[in-house]
Amino acid sequence: MTFFEKQTDPTTPMHWYGNMQADYLYLSGVAGDKFFKHIIKNDTFLATKCPKCNKTFFPPRIYCEDCFLEIPHSDWIEIPAKGKVELFTIATVDTYGIKLEKPKVVCMINIDETDGTLLGIIKTDDLEEEFRGIHVEAVFKSKNKREGTLKDILYFKKIE
Amino acid sequence: MLKETQSYPKYAPGTYVSNKDIINKNITYTWWEPEVQYSWSLGPAYSRFLQELKEGRIIGRTCKKCNRVLIPPRMFCEYCYRPTDDWIYLKDTGTIETYSISYLDPNAQRIKDPILIGVISIDGASPQHGIMHYFGEMKPNEIFIGMKVKAIWKPKKERTGSITDIKYFIPIKGGEKI
Repeated sequence: MTFFEKQTDPTTPMHWYGNMQADYLYLSGVAGDKFFKHIIKNDTFLATKCPKCNKTFFPPRIYCEDCFLEIPHSDWIEIPAKGKVELFTIATVDTYGIKLEKPKVVCMINIDETDGTLLGIIKTDDLEEEFRGIHVEAVFKSKNKREGTLKDILYFKKIE
Repeated sequence: MLKETQSYPKYAPGTYVSNKDIINKNITYTWWEPEVQYSWSLGPAYSRFLQELKEGRIIGRTCKKCNRVLIPPRMFCEYCYRPTDDWIYLKDTGTIETYSISYLDPNAQRIKDPILIGVISIDGASPQHGIMHYFGEMKPNEIFIGMKVKAIWKPKKERTGSITDIKYFIPIKGGEKI
């Protein structure tokens, strides 16, 4: 076999398979820690309100990004886990590119009483529906199974 | 992350977290291990090399212009800028070209019994042409550059077509037939 010989069988050259280790640990931070610990025990969200410009941050931040002001503890507010759908997409494949049996509705929800948004999944049977502008409510896991991550929110459901 | 006994530097104000906080789950966090799989195409030369290792043979490649015997085999001579010519079977013996005594394992943990590792110039190939491998059945103080070694192969059933089909290289004793 020389360099100029044509290879017609693509299985002749071997392939070497391997896995790269790339695990990571992402800490929630001061504001995120307070937020997720609140989710474990309650069915509501937390947000922070800047006392100077009145902007409401969701997910909560401890510094106002406009005024560079540290938000005091008294300006943490409890808000209902409800919102309005800003935009949505219908996913037919999962993260590995495998076709889903049932398509998922992934949407961006503007949380009520705040200026922030959250990504979520709407549980529905009717995919032809117009999702933009509808009001949704978060459905949490049962309280003893919550771990303090965003996965504690199972899905969002439509409310009138 | 800071240990419990470590004090916090005054010049860096903030909220500190110790390893214990994470282990005891005093704080919330996300841990994830992404699946990062790769497939490296070996090409004709390495494919043949690994297939021959599975059979218990070491194979090289010759270049007629510069009269070199290349190990590991390559389909192109980087000295002459021309394709190499022939396959050649080589012995599974060689000479230690360079070595290292490692008291760290692949995960950088300290170990008591060191790992002996180095480059072996394979007999029959051009000088300083060889492969990197483990050394076994010798003490760390016995190893030296220029030591004659031979390969210890895995049993045929356990071979997978990998460089680890050779377990390690052991020293050749005087008068031994190779």
